Amino acid sequence: MNEILKLDNVELYYDHVYALKGVSVNLHEGETVALIGANGAGKSSILRAITGLSKIKSGSIHYKGKRLDGTLASDIVGQGIAMVPEGRRVFPYMSIKDNLLMGAFTRSDKAGITKTLESVLERFPRLKERYSQQAGTLSGGEQQMMVIGRALMAAPKILLLDEPSLGIAPKLVQEIARSIVAISRDEKVSVLLVEQNSRMAMSISHRTYALSTGEIVLEGNSKELMNDKRIKEAYLGGDL
Amino acid sequence: MEQIIVNGLYLGAQYALIALGLTLIFSLMNVMNFAHGQMYVMGGFITYTVVSQFNIPFFIALIISGMALAVIGALIEKFLFRPVIKKSKRDESTMLLAAGIGFFLDSVILLAFGEKQRGVPKIIDGVFNWDFRIIMPYDRIVIGCIAIAMIIAFMLLMHYSKAGRAMRALAQDKVAATLMGVNVDRYQMIGFALGAMLAGVVGGLLVTITGINLGMGGPTSTKAFIMIMIGGAGVIPGAIVGGFILGMMESVGLSVLSQYGDITYLLIFASLMIFLAIRPHGLMGKPWG
Repeated sequence: MNEILKLDNVELYYDHVYALKGVSVNLHEGETVALIGANGAGKSSILRAITGLSKIKSGSIHYKGKRLDGTLASDIVGQGIAMVPEGRRVFPYMSIKDNLLMGAFTRSDKAGITKTLESVLERFPRLKERYSQQAGTLSGGEQQMMVIGRALMAAPKILLLDEPSLGIAPKLVQEIARSIVAISRDEKVSVLLVEQNSRMAMSISHRTYALSTGEIVLEGNSKELMNDKRIKEAYLGGDL
Repeated sequence: MEQIIVNGLYLGAQYALIALGLTLIFSLMNVMNFAHGQMYVMGGFITYTVVSQFNIPFFIALIISGMALAVIGALIEKFLFRPVIKKSKRDESTMLLAAGIGFFLDSVILLAFGEKQRGVPKIIDGVFNWDFRIIMPYDRIVIGCIAIAMIIAFMLLMHYSKAGRAMRALAQDKVAATLMGVNVDRYQMIGFALGAMLAGVVGGLLVTITGINLGMGGPTSTKAFIMIMIGGAGVIPGAIVGGFILGMMESVGLSVLSQYGDITYLLIFASLMIFLAIRPHGLMGKPWG
């Protein structure tokens, strides 16, 4: 598999406090990779570094072999990296239609946008039912589906998901997990999944990185790591 | 009665346009543009100068003053507001900056155009008279219709164009808009330019009716703030509703209350205070609808 994204020894900090102390992560084409760890471990900082929302202090980020760090945050999505931010961040007073169209903001191929829109609505039929409704009126789970759809509207090569299960009803968490698997299969998109729900993240990913206080402490095949004693104790809360 | 309503609509349409520019700037940048009235006066003087000095037709002068104010607005945003917003996290900084720009523009207007009241000849002569129930000069009707057409055009732009959608998204969530590929700096500049342009065009419209003078800047800013306080700051329909409400109140005041003396604005301020005590967010207080 070809490597599509590579973080090499990335350091990042907020107001002189370290968030990442030399993190190296890679992602291959078609692969789903999970980043797990406690609150404040640095999972979201990795996504912020990739999308340019936070500037890295040292190290490098390469996308398709080209240097990505230093790119303006608003230019990232146009290159093929779409992010579903933590806490969903819908545009609450815009219709679902306009929210989805915002996802395709950097695209100019009208026919292509229409085609992607149809496929998103087919994937999440609930959005179709509420197409003209304001996004702020949707439930948490519906909003999560909408922002995943919004990210897909950019027709990305890489999908970054920041805590998609946070604050979602357990039944819907499964549904969202299933759609992540389906998306990576159908759209041939690589997925970098940040999750506190380690069990869910590991069960749908190929590889996993476990973070603690800004460093990667364990990495490997998700299926194998799920049976690792250290992972069980630290991230899965005892035996499966 | 009919006369009061028509006068109110005529005033309200122009007020709504001023309030739209102010609310656009506020919602995109969280900046209270205290210089909005001065931008409006500047638009009036530019229209006057272009018409009377260069003999260019009024409607072209109107476009020129709109574009001039758009450029001025863009420059003010890029070189003054943007660095201040980046360096300071306190809202007072931009308020003081806006007030300072207001005083500065007042001085510029005084230097460049003088202190005289200026006007341009009527664009159309004649008076519309419906059985003495509605009496309205034709030029006011034309100006009112232009203002209403511009309000509609602005709403269509915000709702159906890509740039409008981007500005609404920016007003609601800057981080999410950035992730969608919206360049925050560029769209804040576009928004500020658009807001200043609206102020400039309304100033130009007024110059053919009542004329314009240096002293109108401050009071116009105050009126614009009253409008968005009534409607709710940062909301497009709120600005429009606020504009028409203030227009109606003035119209009623001028024809009904004037016999008791100059109490219209006293009553407007008093009722505004009571209204805000009950509804501090205005009629539609939420960011962008």
